[in-house]
Amino acid sequence: MITIKHDGCIFCVGCSSVCPVNAIEAVGTRMEHFPERCIDCGLCVKACPANVIRLYKGVKSAKDLPPDADRTGNAQR
Amino acid sequence: MIMMEYDHDAIIIGGGPAGATVARLLAREGKDVLVVDKRKEIGVPVRCGEAIGVTDVQKEGIGLPRWVYSTEVRGAKLIAPNGKSITWVNESTKGWILERKVFDKWLCELAVEKGATVKTYTRAIGLTKDDKGRISGVKLSHGGRDPFDVSAPLIISAEGMESMMARAMGFKTVHSLYDVDTCYEYEMKPYDHDNLIELYFGNSIAPRGYVWIFPKNEKKANVGIGIGANLTTSEKQSGIKGADPKRYLDSYIAGNPRLKDASTLLDFGGVISVGAPIDGFTKDNCMVVGTAAKQVDPIHGGGISLAIECGYFAANAALKAFEKKDFSKSMLYENYEKPWRSKVGKGLTSRLLLRKVMEKLSDDDLDHIFNTLKDDDLPKVMDGDFAPVVAKLLAKRPQLMGVLSALMPGGR
Repeated sequence: MITIKHDGCIFCVGCSSVCPVNAIEAVGTRMEHFPERCIDCGLCVKACPANVIRLYKGVKSAKDLPPDADRTGNAQR
Repeated sequence: MIMMEYDHDAIIIGGGPAGATVARLLAREGKDVLVVDKRKEIGVPVRCGEAIGVTDVQKEGIGLPRWVYSTEVRGAKLIAPNGKSITWVNESTKGWILERKVFDKWLCELAVEKGATVKTYTRAIGLTKDDKGRISGVKLSHGGRDPFDVSAPLIISAEGMESMMARAMGFKTVHSLYDVDTCYEYEMKPYDHDNLIELYFGNSIAPRGYVWIFPKNEKKANVGIGIGANLTTSEKQSGIKGADPKRYLDSYIAGNPRLKDASTLLDFGGVISVGAPIDGFTKDNCMVVGTAAKQVDPIHGGGISLAIECGYFAANAALKAFEKKDFSKSMLYENYEKPWRSKVGKGLTSRLLLRKVMEKLSDDDLDHIFNTLKDDDLPKVMDGDFAPVVAKLLAKRPQLMGVLSALMPGGR
């Protein structure tokens, strides 16, 4: 799964435009990530012009993120 | 046959230039149109350089009120890595730098004045189907509240880059990294400009792209960069190699004495499509318009005027469909996609070819091209008439043949 650091995100939806599995979507006023759909491809990391996306390969849910991971951008589940 | 009762004649997802144009043209003919936009405010956030050409606007027959644009533009200046420039100013290069958030809202207001209904902060979260399995409506949520269904025989995706509902309709709108540029931009002040769009080329300035400076009123300018998103020029998060436009832009600004001490008034950016339009714009009961269909100029990534132009084709097809009560893919294709491809798509194809050639050029090649070209060569190139210019370039540098041959008649 990925994390999106909202402090720095410019809400351009570039990440969702390249996501092949619809795992990132603009909801309300911020980008939401749906870890259950994520295939860890990292395309969003490469596309992000603001460099605020981090990939955690193999992590399937926000509760398994390492303690230092940014948690502001994960879908609330 | 009993016709199903629908809530609206058409539902348009997205209130940008494409969606608002289709809405205006359908509402003008008395159709009941609903436009939904998931953003809280139409036009916000701005995600683009905001330029629109005079010919684009004249073609559409809409006059721009003074308050929707920031400043007038006389033309463009292209600058090579070695600093040599070509200035391109004539009647056809006039244009405007818009205030996008005002412009987009104005286009929506025009649609509302014709009778369309626009709803902001209303997100399409799914499609609904009738008992025959045909797409017949959209599931909406206002500000995250309980979803509700609205129905229409025609659903139009004008969603821009994200195009989630277009994907749900079955359109292949996911972008590949090779066919997008990743961009970062500041609004800056003060910048003394000549009301010219300035484009700076060079692989060290902006690999597979350029830095642009778009003039705005009161000595302001949009200073931005777009570079190939498939580039692996810097270490990004998680140790992944990727393109980092902000880093390139900051280093360009630091090296430009006219900008290095300027203030920034706005940070924005985005990912722009510089590839080919998607394969099909129509399905039964559905159409995709504008940037959602990747109808974007592959050279400069501009989509505003194409979106408006596309709106005319799509609205025309929709009106024919209403007249015949036939919303089948073939009906929509015949009157929207087919004429669009022959009148607009062709030009984009030759410009995509030009982009693919340009991205293979070294800084040295670019310098040679700028040294050789005269100001009056540029209009020909932009119109897709490559042969005379290519011949001139090859005369002095035959080794460019391998790259430029694609632009010759009968080339790749």
